[in-house]
Amino acid sequence: MRFTIFQDSRLGDRKGNEDRVGYSYSRDVLLMVIADGMGGHEQGEVAAEIAVTEITRRFQQEARNRLRRPFEFLVSSIQAAHRAIVSHAVEHNLLECPRTTCVACIVQNGRAFWAHAGDSRLYVLRQGALIAATQDHSKVQQMIDAGEITPEAAARHPDRNKIYSCLGGVVPPLIDTGRDIGLEVGDTIVLSTDGFWTQIPANILGGMVRKQSVLDLLPGLLTEAQRRAQGESDNLSVVAMTWENQDDARLPDTQALDDQQFATSTNTTAQLDSAAPAADDVTDEDIERAIAEIQSAIRKVPR
Amino acid sequence: MPQQANQPLPAGYVLNGYRIEKPLSSGGFSIVYLARDESGTPFAIKEYLPSSLALRSDGVEVSIADEANLSVFRHGLKCFFEEGRALAMISHPNVVRVENFFRANETCYMVMQYVRGRTLQFHIQRHRHEFTEPFIRRIFIHLMNGLREVHASKLLHLDIKPANIFISMEGRPVLLDFGAARITLSEEAMKLKPMYTAGFAAPEHYRFKPGELGPWSDIYSVGATIYTCIAGTPPQAGDQREEKDHMIPLRTLARQDYSDDLYQLVDDCLAVDYMKRPQTAYELQRRLMSEPGVEKRGFLETINRPLSKLFSR
Repeated sequence: MRFTIFQDSRLGDRKGNEDRVGYSYSRDVLLMVIADGMGGHEQGEVAAEIAVTEITRRFQQEARNRLRRPFEFLVSSIQAAHRAIVSHAVEHNLLECPRTTCVACIVQNGRAFWAHAGDSRLYVLRQGALIAATQDHSKVQQMIDAGEITPEAAARHPDRNKIYSCLGGVVPPLIDTGRDIGLEVGDTIVLSTDGFWTQIPANILGGMVRKQSVLDLLPGLLTEAQRRAQGESDNLSVVAMTWENQDDARLPDTQALDDQQFATSTNTTAQLDSAAPAADDVTDEDIERAIAEIQSAIRKVPR
Repeated sequence: MPQQANQPLPAGYVLNGYRIEKPLSSGGFSIVYLARDESGTPFAIKEYLPSSLALRSDGVEVSIADEANLSVFRHGLKCFFEEGRALAMISHPNVVRVENFFRANETCYMVMQYVRGRTLQFHIQRHRHEFTEPFIRRIFIHLMNGLREVHASKLLHLDIKPANIFISMEGRPVLLDFGAARITLSEEAMKLKPMYTAGFAAPEHYRFKPGELGPWSDIYSVGATIYTCIAGTPPQAGDQREEKDHMIPLRTLARQDYSDDLYQLVDDCLAVDYMKRPQTAYELQRRLMSEPGVEKRGFLETINRPLSKLFSR
């Protein structure tokens, strides 16, 4: 695979960064993930950290070659991250369970698959146009859908930060999956938290991405987004990937990686004691181990 | 997605070296196939396929009907492993033997010894007149050996019924289908509906409070199975009996003479209150052995009791 990828997470005008971003890829599969820990709740940072760590961990466990079922992987790993957050809260006797949004995207076989919970967004931009996007699980989005308010009014609405699906909540997250899209050369997938997307409209972003590489464009655009918030900027984070000409030998190719090797980059702080998988979770490794145990028991018991 | 029946693997399909001949049975959690290995030895292969979660409408690979069910599917897989693990540790002539266990087609398979014979259900339908007291006692005394072994492995069968008891050609009863065998406490597992067969499942089984289930729940099912051997039909369902007990007294349904002791034993096993049942397979086995099973005992036979006890083993 040949693609250009950029990611950054900025503090904005806040004291702490509760956003976590990450990507990881092997020869044939790419994962991008972003999580926005919720400020109103204790340790939103921890929730976002667990989400990115857990999803990345499972990705590296299951995507040794390609993912057989990308949507199932996305949904089950977001659910697993939710359970891991809840377990963390139980283990640490937290009064309130930390919460986070999450959007994750898989690219393989030239196609993109994504799933999300909350109001962190994913855009697919093609030739300057927004061809696909996640629908926020937010109160204002519901009001827009119902025709009660305009998107412009939503940006100023007092409830604009209220979301109805997240990881770590009392109820398991509502997870929406996007349709899978075949990527064309120049297509750019952008994942961002609300600190960024509230300030930079998708059409502007689309127009700019068309002219400039994400590597050149986004650092300045993050600064611009923070500036526009006029001293009240939330944390702002972006992961963006442009799908390149797969035959362009001048560009790096993920085939250069060793078999089953992953290149990974995240802003997680690794301060958690351990991002242990939730107790009732069954991973591929568990399955292999169980089968090995049964087979060994079969061999041991005299027949 | 509409609920569809799961398609079995096609005949002739080669699964990890075993050639599928035909499906033998299918239940809520699985399909069992007759298959042969390269040398032609027959096996019964059980495929984990919970119909409420997984789907195979065509081809051989299993897909999950609803993506959100993947983790539940996998959790059920864990139960399937528990069954495999427990069975792998049991080597007993009255419990079906596990020969192999592997993963394929996005699900898992358990290869079991294929027992030639017929289910107890078949015999009840065709040959109920042959179910004399000594025959019943002999079958169930042997079966209790197997069930004791199962309980000793900290496993409950939870679906004992005539269809799950095989009588081999030599007349040996073999306990089959541990598909319901599990005890799980987690909320996720509750989504996998407890499997029960009306008439054979104990009243507490319907509530599925794991704390109430125990060897006595299997004892209830054994009682219901003996009842069916004699009556030809199972007793009133456990959950209904709990509301209003209309179970027909076994004596009125019997077509031949059985001892008061056997009627009492079946009645005790079928107690709605699980505390009033024989609590273990061993206890039930002892009671099955304690009476010779002769219709009317004269004075001399009473004297011979210890001797008869030996014979009935």
